[in-house]
Amino acid sequence: MKRIVLLLAALTVTSWTSLSAAGLSDAEFRKLHAELQPDNSALWRTVPWKISVLDGQQKAAEEKKPLFIWAMDGHPLGCT
Amino acid sequence: MIDRESTFADPEIVSFIKTKTVPVAIDQWNQRRQKDSEGDFYRKIAGQGPRNDFDGTTQGLYLAAPDGTLLGYTNNRNPDRVMQFFKESMAKFRPANTKSLAVETEDRKYVIRPPEGGLVIRVQAKVLDGYEQTDDKFIQIFQAAVSRDNLWITAAEQQQLAAGKFPERLTVRIARHCLVDNTRGEAPAWKEADIVSAKIKITGGKITGHCEMKLADGSRSYSADVLGEIEFKDSHVSTLNMVAKGMYFGSGPYTPNAPKGKFPLAVSFTLADGKDIADAVPPEGARGWVADYLR
Repeated sequence: MKRIVLLLAALTVTSWTSLSAAGLSDAEFRKLHAELQPDNSALWRTVPWKISVLDGQQKAAEEKKPLFIWAMDGHPLGCT
Repeated sequence: MIDRESTFADPEIVSFIKTKTVPVAIDQWNQRRQKDSEGDFYRKIAGQGPRNDFDGTTQGLYLAAPDGTLLGYTNNRNPDRVMQFFKESMAKFRPANTKSLAVETEDRKYVIRPPEGGLVIRVQAKVLDGYEQTDDKFIQIFQAAVSRDNLWITAAEQQQLAAGKFPERLTVRIARHCLVDNTRGEAPAWKEADIVSAKIKITGGKITGHCEMKLADGSRSYSADVLGEIEFKDSHVSTLNMVAKGMYFGSGPYTPNAPKGKFPLAVSFTLADGKDIADAVPPEGARGWVADYLR
């Protein structure tokens, strides 16, 4: 009986430690890695963005189109 | 983030941009400072708008003729207002022959490229739980956000990885710049002094580790386990998939409204293939001082 009580106590401590350590299992790693990927269906991704104003100017001059500049603090395509 | 999920999720706006304009996306923090051809042309355009003090932000949406004449500016994000801005600005545009501008000078402090022979890793973070429920669609966007940044790895570090050693400076770079909650805006990087412990190792193709960062006053912290896999082909990294997950606490000046108390945050790492335009964007941590970022 004493052995069973000690075993149960040990299991309880192990379980509590595992939960409080916010551990990461192999299955969870694969699930999270798949979940945290770019959404390729997002509409903004279909826009042929340039990341240099001069690159844009050269194409705008060639195509006789205006230049649209999305200027942010931090890069609009990344950073956040 | 809010722009990507609201303004630029609007089919009419996206169609207009794609068919009527040449679209450019920039971190104006660089262009307004750059002492080179790129900076000169950007300041020529932005200087005609309301945000013409280049010591402060010039953030916003600009429409300009190829010769640099400003046609319109707005910093509004409402899709209807943005569409109105496009229509009013476009009405002023007169197509004309314009000379292409050459890159005559390049300010290397701000124009930075991935290290030669190195790697670009996509880094994405998500708050997994802890937010209070809301009906506000803009707050919902922040709460569901998956952030995006890049991590640069040098050629020498790639060699160390191939030799089975996870470089110490790479671990520090990951801890300082990647293990942050940037899901609601630009997050402050950790200082080296904020790192309580950071250890990542490779064992038989498996990456394991643990990193813990904490501000001295306890107002922000993150303690995360790291797990991943790495493969090589001809001594080059061919696969690098990694996740850090743990409990985060606090926020930064530009990342308010974090969940109360500690909350679970996960960060994923994936070897970039260069097919995503965002793969070319320099890491936030390299802004203005790439040598320090890569040391």
